[in-house]
Amino acid sequence: MKPGRLERLQRGLVRSATCAVDPDFVAAVEGGGRLSAAEAVAVYRRGYPARLTEALGETFEACWRVMGDEDFLAACREFVARTPSRSHNLSDYGETFPDFLAARADAEAAPFLGDLARFEWAFKELFHAAPRPGLSAAALAKAARPDSVLRLAGPLVLLSFGHRVYGLWKRDRADATPVTRADWEGPERLALYKEGGNPVFVRELSAPEHAALAALAAGRTAADALAGSGLDEAGAAALFAFLAEGGLVAEASR
Amino acid sequence: MGLRSAHYARLLERPRTRVRWFEALTENYMDSRGRPLEVLLKVREDYPVALHGVSLSVGGVEGPRPGYLERLKALAERVQPFLISDHLCFTGAHASNVHDLLPLPYTEEAVATVARNAARAQEVLGRRIALENVSSYLSYRESAMTEWEFLVAVARRADCRILLDVNNAFVSAQNHGFKAEDYLDAVPAELVAQIHLGGYSDMGTFLFDTHSRAPTPPVWELFRRTIARMPGTPVLIEWDEALPPWETLEAQAVKAAEIEEEAREARTA
Repeated sequence: MKPGRLERLQRGLVRSATCAVDPDFVAAVEGGGRLSAAEAVAVYRRGYPARLTEALGETFEACWRVMGDEDFLAACREFVARTPSRSHNLSDYGETFPDFLAARADAEAAPFLGDLARFEWAFKELFHAAPRPGLSAAALAKAARPDSVLRLAGPLVLLSFGHRVYGLWKRDRADATPVTRADWEGPERLALYKEGGNPVFVRELSAPEHAALAALAAGRTAADALAGSGLDEAGAAALFAFLAEGGLVAEASR
Repeated sequence: MGLRSAHYARLLERPRTRVRWFEALTENYMDSRGRPLEVLLKVREDYPVALHGVSLSVGGVEGPRPGYLERLKALAERVQPFLISDHLCFTGAHASNVHDLLPLPYTEEAVATVARNAARAQEVLGRRIALENVSSYLSYRESAMTEWEFLVAVARRADCRILLDVNNAFVSAQNHGFKAEDYLDAVPAELVAQIHLGGYSDMGTFLFDTHSRAPTPPVWELFRRTIARMPGTPVLIEWDEALPPWETLEAQAVKAAEIEEEAREARTA
């Protein structure tokens, strides 16, 4: 069906603001103040990338700090030009920015950028997630058995990266020390979680701890999860203390 | 006063303030189950709250995005706001949200489109909403009525109310060459649910609605003139960019409230 007049005008303004200026739309309007029609359209055209860049800057603050203004803003311009926003919420914008940064990053100088951005996106998502208090330590001790399946609460998100990025994220904003290979080289495994309230916590995990928690999250029994993880007895006790004290288990069932 | 994240820590201490109510930006809370919503619900224990959105896109030919109204309704049920409002504009297309308050042509087709979308919103929400006039930097050659005629026509056709932004009326008047007094005087008092004031930036060739400073003297004068016709209408100072200290914002809110009280007393006398 042929679009109506209002729809054609709206398409023209959206196209002019986000892609290429539509000459038919420019011909259909008059500029406000002392602006020509084209200059008035440019007001909306300038605002679009500015708003999306601001949203990316809020979510990916550590990437911005590490990359510096020039490189980060250039990356935003490229990303915004190829990635429309489909959500009503600006905070949803940038889900694929980590992959974009990973593909764009200098493989020698900053191969960690994709991982840092993935951490920031996960942190933002958890920040807005509802806290779900789990069993108390006493209730968990009473309910859990080796053959129990532990449903995790929290919420709790497990991350596994090829580069160490948590230290970069934690850096003080005023810390202008250049990032060196020693800061990011090596793998990193993290748990992001809430302990029944809204603050987001981060725990660095060993490879066996991450394996055990991933197995629990996949529905394996406590005994199976530990057996396949390579955790020794002391490590297993420490991991369960972490889950119990944080109230990170919603249910223990058999 | 507008509820901003910079205020969270202060308000959680539950200080005595001179603020009568808060306006929360709908989209900052409707998708969050974390700290922002926790703070809003705590503030709601102490103050009335209005929800003010920027993404309803009531003038969009595609209508509101799928799921938007349902999320808004869920938030409203938790917050119990005294008013739900958004802007008389469109914000883009479903496939590409511009996240801007894009102006509409003042035509019969646009009135019908807004009325249809507003009716659907009010049906889902189970209550009337208010639509705010926006600042604009272009006008459509085919507009068949004035902006205020369009605003009133929409409110009457959609059976919704008006959030009258005095600053936006001033900005549009300067940009498009009409008298702000003609605009504001033409809006029937009984349709107005709330008033906004704010600050604009003079860009040299046009006025730009930036919400980055206090209302200018001409806007305060227009407010005095307007509130005299509709005393008792809730008034809010919008300040989103370059946020000043709390005390400055509070003083602005108190100034607006005092002018409103003067208008109420004058009406009673």
